[in-house]
Amino acid sequence: MKVALKLGGTMASESKVTRKGFINWLLGTSLGATVVAALYPVFRYVLPPEVAEAPTNRVLAGKLSELPPNTGKIFRFGAKPGILVRTPGGEVRAFSAICTHLNCTVQYRADFQHIWCACHNGHYDLQGKNIQGPPPRPLETFKVDIVGDDIYVTRGA
Amino acid sequence: MKLAEKLWKALDERYDLAPLLAFAKEKAVPRHRHDWMYYFGGLTLFFFMIQVATGILLLLYYRPTAEAAFESVQFIMTRVPFGWLIRSIHSWSANLMIASAFVHMFTVYFAGAYVKPRELTWWTGAALLLLALGFGFSGYLLPWNELAFFATRVGTDMVSKVPLIGHWLLRVLRGGEDVTGATLTRFFGIHVAVLPMISTFLILLHLAFIQRQGMHEPEGEAKLPPRPFFPNFVLREFMVWLVGLAALAALAAFFPWELGTKADPFAPAPAGIKPEWYFLFMFETLKLLPAEVLGIEGEILGLAAFTVGGLFWFLAPLWDRKRARGEKNPFALIVGWGVVLYIASFTALSYLGVFK
Amino acid sequence: MKALVVLGVTLAASSGVAAPPSRVLGIPGKPASDQCTACHQALDEPRLQKPAVLATDDIHYRQGITCAGCHGGDPQAEDPEAAMDPKKGFMGKIPPQKVPEVCGSCHSDASFMLRYAPNIPTDQLAQYRTSKHGLALAKGDTKVATCASCHGAHGVLPASDARSPVYASRIVETCGRCHGDPSLMKPYGISGKEIEDYKQSVHYQALVVKNDLSAPTCNDCHGSHGATPPGISSVSNVCGTCHLTQREAFDSSPHKDAFAAMEQPACEACHSNHKILPPKDEWIGVGEGQVCGTCHSSGDRGAEAAQAIFASLNGTVQRLAAARERVERAERRGMLMDEALVKLEEAHQSLVLARNEVHTVDPQRVAAKTSEAGGAVAKAEKDAEAAEAELRFRHNGFKVSLLVILLTVVALGAKIREIERRS
Repeated sequence: MKVALKLGGTMASESKVTRKGFINWLLGTSLGATVVAALYPVFRYVLPPEVAEAPTNRVLAGKLSELPPNTGKIFRFGAKPGILVRTPGGEVRAFSAICTHLNCTVQYRADFQHIWCACHNGHYDLQGKNIQGPPPRPLETFKVDIVGDDIYVTRGA
Repeated sequence: MKLAEKLWKALDERYDLAPLLAFAKEKAVPRHRHDWMYYFGGLTLFFFMIQVATGILLLLYYRPTAEAAFESVQFIMTRVPFGWLIRSIHSWSANLMIASAFVHMFTVYFAGAYVKPRELTWWTGAALLLLALGFGFSGYLLPWNELAFFATRVGTDMVSKVPLIGHWLLRVLRGGEDVTGATLTRFFGIHVAVLPMISTFLILLHLAFIQRQGMHEPEGEAKLPPRPFFPNFVLREFMVWLVGLAALAALAAFFPWELGTKADPFAPAPAGIKPEWYFLFMFETLKLLPAEVLGIEGEILGLAAFTVGGLFWFLAPLWDRKRARGEKNPFALIVGWGVVLYIASFTALSYLGVFK
Repeated sequence: MKALVVLGVTLAASSGVAAPPSRVLGIPGKPASDQCTACHQALDEPRLQKPAVLATDDIHYRQGITCAGCHGGDPQAEDPEAAMDPKKGFMGKIPPQKVPEVCGSCHSDASFMLRYAPNIPTDQLAQYRTSKHGLALAKGDTKVATCASCHGAHGVLPASDARSPVYASRIVETCGRCHGDPSLMKPYGISGKEIEDYKQSVHYQALVVKNDLSAPTCNDCHGSHGATPPGISSVSNVCGTCHLTQREAFDSSPHKDAFAAMEQPACEACHSNHKILPPKDEWIGVGEGQVCGTCHSSGDRGAEAAQAIFASLNGTVQRLAAARERVERAERRGMLMDEALVKLEEAHQSLVLARNEVHTVDPQRVAAKTSEAGGAVAKAEKDAEAAEAELRFRHNGFKVSLLVILLTVVALGAKIREIERRS
């Protein structure tokens, strides 16, 4: 703006053309920038995000082939841990991994053949039931669906 | 240039566009000391268009159920690239649209533009304002966060005060006895289908009336030569839109719209729940009323008063005969300033925390 | 068969009272029917009528055992004289000192009980005789509790029935009927405040308020039928049945031998016995109201260790709380904080483990866990910082676009002026 005015003051004959040209250039550039600033986010927004779906009540918790009998695996529902357990008999079960005593994360103990919390030595059986130690309640049970090799866990079902 | 000319020729040949162009070239907008007021209707329209665009974008990821609504908004804000931007713009643009609509309404009122022959323009406009408030009220619940949940519970509860059919209305509005996932689905349908459909129709009607009758010119203004609609007025309007966009960016930057915490219908209501700012004056007034006035519940009385007052305002073209004849009407001005002062002061005092 | 009968007779004989004869027993699983209840229910005097009314809900009656099973007499005789004939073994009201034997006549008879409840223990009477109650009763003190004092005399229900006075969450009230009365307890050298103390404990909270039936009540530490205070040496064993980690930590600490030498009970020294309050980090120290001060005083090694332990715990608590606040704030503002929340949970878990280590009274072992927690908190803080940076970045992005838009406004203004000047 200022430059344009200055130019307008010094070069009398060319000033009108220069001034007009500058205004057009400025308007075109800034308008273009505004349009890009508005459209670029929209463009990025409509492209599918990395995680394609809002975290629902279902997650792919693990692979059957990676879970031999008498093992367990921690998976996550957002920020909340869940535990996938393959019983010595080969059955797959899933529970919330949050200990009902003081919210520590439980683990599968192959030597006990059941679920155990390290914090205060709480024990849960393979049905998620509290069987020893301070846990006051059983672990929340999740539904397990196996599709091919994939283990899906559904919460609140 | 050649190509454009060819295209124009081809289209003109088929659709006879030349008269339209001639009309657009001749169309002019009145000029006077207060002609700034002509831009607010357009600005409201601009915000409405932004709402439509960002609303459609939000629909790509939003899920209208009690279980997934909060999570999907969280998903939009956290995992979708620029999702936070789209949501922030949608939220702020909604507020600016209503603010702009209020300014538009008051300028029209004080200019006396509602009198014959523009009664229908005033009435469609008033209906559009109500629809905008409906948009705000229904949209507020959709993120399914704690504040929205309880504000909706309080807000819908007022409907139950309507004599005779109150309870029935409440059930229809909430989709049950209480605010639940059923309410959310209902509000979603209203927000994205019912209101947009009616609004679009009314906006077209509103614009058609203006196009047909031209802009109203207030009495007693020194008249200047009119301003060509194209490009002068259009460019000016466009500039106002850009200022609106700038205001939007500024608000979104300095007051980012938060996500809040997920609604828990069984949790006790949090302290200090407030509706959106444009409902505040009503909210505070109802709170101020005593529980009972002359044997009638204060809240019912308040709501009745708002209904009567709103109706009176709505019917201004009918009772304001003086301005229709081109005379001054001090009564209308007093009413107008009274309403402005009342709304402004109650809203301001509420923000200052005077009502506790 | 004969051998079994002989065995049964011998066992019954050892308890002094024989199991009831088959004529007073009905079919297991089928409610009894007798003349006793029929007549007594019709009586006006409450003292005589109430037992008969209560009896119909009684587990024994419902299993076919008539009133005569305990009281003797002939349950089928319609004539009161014949029914309550002492010659037919009628005893009337059973005196307290005879109650354990009467109950034990069946309940100590494994083969008899097998017919009704194969899994029920049959050692109650043997246990009772070792209990403070049983010992006092043997000495002729009839004020002490017998079977009926806790289980009720008529209308006895299984302990698993929520209406039973010996149902887990009701035991404290049942014991409290006597033990909550200081004047009654005074002759036995018991304060009578134990019940009130227990009611302030974490165990009462868990059991009665949160209805967690696995939480201990009176009998879980003192025993049910063999009720007796656990000896000083066995307190930590009793607590350790549930609180295993803490017990192991304590056993590895220098306190174990020191407490034993001073004949101090282990857990009780800091946590009290009945009034077991939720433990607080603030207890650690030698100041007023702090538990270490009982033995240690300012300046000694114990006080220093306590100070170090408290400092590392408290530091972690503060840092964790601050980090949580920060992470949650970022989450409310719409940032994805899942990773940070997981880190905070890890930190919380390490803090819980650090509190276990307090029982080792080794500041280094506590610090090892709190520094784990600190590491996790640091990661969460880093996430929060990144989220805040991202928010600032967005903020600045808006400012830049605001500038661009304003520039467009200025350019457009100039353009409009230019156009209008032309015309």
